[in-house]
Amino acid sequence: MATAAGTDPKIERYLARVRAALRGLPEREIEDILRELHSHTIELAEQEGGTVESALQSLGDPVDLAGTYRSENQMARAECSSSPLVILQGLRHASRSSRGRVTATALYAFGYINVLMLWSAAIEKLLAPLRVGLWYVPGQIWSLALVTSGDAPEGARELLGWWLVPIAALVGWAVRSVTDRTARWWIGRYRRSRTSQGA
Amino acid sequence: MATGSRGDPSSPSPMDKWEVQLRKGCLELAILACLWPGKLYGLEILRRLESDSDLVLSAGTVHPLLSRLKAEGLLTSEWVEAEAGHPRKYYQLTSRGRRRAVDMAEMWSRFSTNLKNLLTPLLKEVR
Repeated sequence: MATAAGTDPKIERYLARVRAALRGLPEREIEDILRELHSHTIELAEQEGGTVESALQSLGDPVDLAGTYRSENQMARAECSSSPLVILQGLRHASRSSRGRVTATALYAFGYINVLMLWSAAIEKLLAPLRVGLWYVPGQIWSLALVTSGDAPEGARELLGWWLVPIAALVGWAVRSVTDRTARWWIGRYRRSRTSQGA
Repeated sequence: MATGSRGDPSSPSPMDKWEVQLRKGCLELAILACLWPGKLYGLEILRRLESDSDLVLSAGTVHPLLSRLKAEGLLTSEWVEAEAGHPRKYYQLTSRGRRRAVDMAEMWSRFSTNLKNLLTPLLKEVR
């Protein structure tokens, strides 16, 4: 953080608390936020009738302020990202209740579990073709037997053969796309509907 | 957000709450509109909002919002050394931000005109 000479220890303490509560954001962003808050506080305090205390008061509680920065930044980044980690971070803020946040995160994870299963099936088919396949057993339901430990089910017929590889890869890609889009839509919907904290 | 609250500030009336919600709803548009003529830094934005639109906001509200608008690609920022002795972070609309500001302004204008049509008879009666 850039600090001007003669910085008030109260400002330093305030910014240290903001920094601690911002942990997890990229260091460059944290530095930028702290530098801006520092500049803002100094300018307000140096104005006629201004004090460090009143300047810091206008920023509010440091932990609340950091929380607002975190949620605003992480949701905004998640909305235009295709990284599952960034989207997951955005989902952590995208509901008023903890139950809503847990449900959204669990559904997102469920989508990705399916993606991983489909892509694993595509790779496994290449490595051990007899262990994976879309098997049809007359009189039974259709099933995608993934990483089976032995032979195919008795009397079963494999339907796709090598076609399983591109099909599983494509379906996995489609599921991932739908999962990401749904999560981003959810985050954007929540962000637009909520009112800014502390406003 | 200061809303010129009436009565006991610890228990805002339904009208106060409604006014706060109304002002919050147009906050993003107000900030984008502030930056339409050119770049400004945080404190200037706060003052412009207060002087031109009667939106009295806390710095703790506006700074995270500016950060989010930047993360969305609607604003860019740059640090400029000021004569005051400390650098200032100036914000500017991107082309995407300008398009968003125009879209929001048009939507707001349509909404406001339509609502005015609905409210005119009511306001005439009150007068």
